[in-house]
Amino acid sequence: MHDHDHHHDHDHDHDGHHHPRPVSEQELRTRALEATLVEKGIVTSDAIDAIIDRYVNDIGPQNGARVVARAWSDPAYHERLLADGTAAIAELGFTGEEGHTIVVVENTPDAHNVIVCTLCSCYPWPVLGLPPTWYKSAPYRARVVAEPRAVLEEFGVELPDATEIRVWDSTAEVRYLVLPMRPAGTDTLAEDDLAALVTRDSMIGTGLPLAPTAA
Amino acid sequence: MTDDPYLATLDLPRTNGELVFDEPWQARALGTGVIALRELGVGTVEWRDALAEAIDRHGHDPDEDPANAYYTAWLDALERIVAARA
Repeated sequence: MHDHDHHHDHDHDHDGHHHPRPVSEQELRTRALEATLVEKGIVTSDAIDAIIDRYVNDIGPQNGARVVARAWSDPAYHERLLADGTAAIAELGFTGEEGHTIVVVENTPDAHNVIVCTLCSCYPWPVLGLPPTWYKSAPYRARVVAEPRAVLEEFGVELPDATEIRVWDSTAEVRYLVLPMRPAGTDTLAEDDLAALVTRDSMIGTGLPLAPTAA
Repeated sequence: MTDDPYLATLDLPRTNGELVFDEPWQARALGTGVIALRELGVGTVEWRDALAEAIDRHGHDPDEDPANAYYTAWLDALERIVAARA
């Protein structure tokens, strides 16, 4: 468009930008559509960025954190969550085709739970978002089964020798969510403040919830 | 949150539950659509039908990447709705 002098081999120099990869027709159309919608005041690019962050890159573990905080705060919900994780999680509005059956496994002083998918990367995404890269790695998948205590120590989780470590292997049908132990010193915290202590790794079992002062 | 109606009711390309994108424009087109459809008052049923028609128009090529095919149709359907409604 900008070059009419037949020097096609230099046609990328006209605007001073070099494109390291070819720009697809769809990419150009997507940009044009966004520009049109922005101009009409229907969308903003910031709002699209936020949607991508929230839904696309990582729905995040905040859903799971709310489930855990509710279970810590409400004994009846705690009971329902352990009896039927899928239904109790759906009560909070978290559902998804990949999350049809979610089994919640509770940590106690006697038993610590860790989740893995030894075959691939099955993960309770409606509550935890997308899995971290290490969760999908072959070393984690193999080693957490063979030597869970050593793997947990590498994550900084040191458990008493008397605590049994239970490893749960996720499948296409059944996903697991770890219900961590409520940290000490949190008796007065409201549910929202409790949720802020619940890390993604604490719901996988490769971490523990934050201490209240660290929140 | 997984409660967005446009995401919850559609069979988006996934692998093991993860949304699959091969190129950034696909995520961008999805995000643009989620907001624009809501702002334009396009219902989930209307959108599902518009998307199904676009998928039919696009045709099925077994060699084409499924995410590319899906989001190309998504973009086509969205362009048409925006042209008609915005």
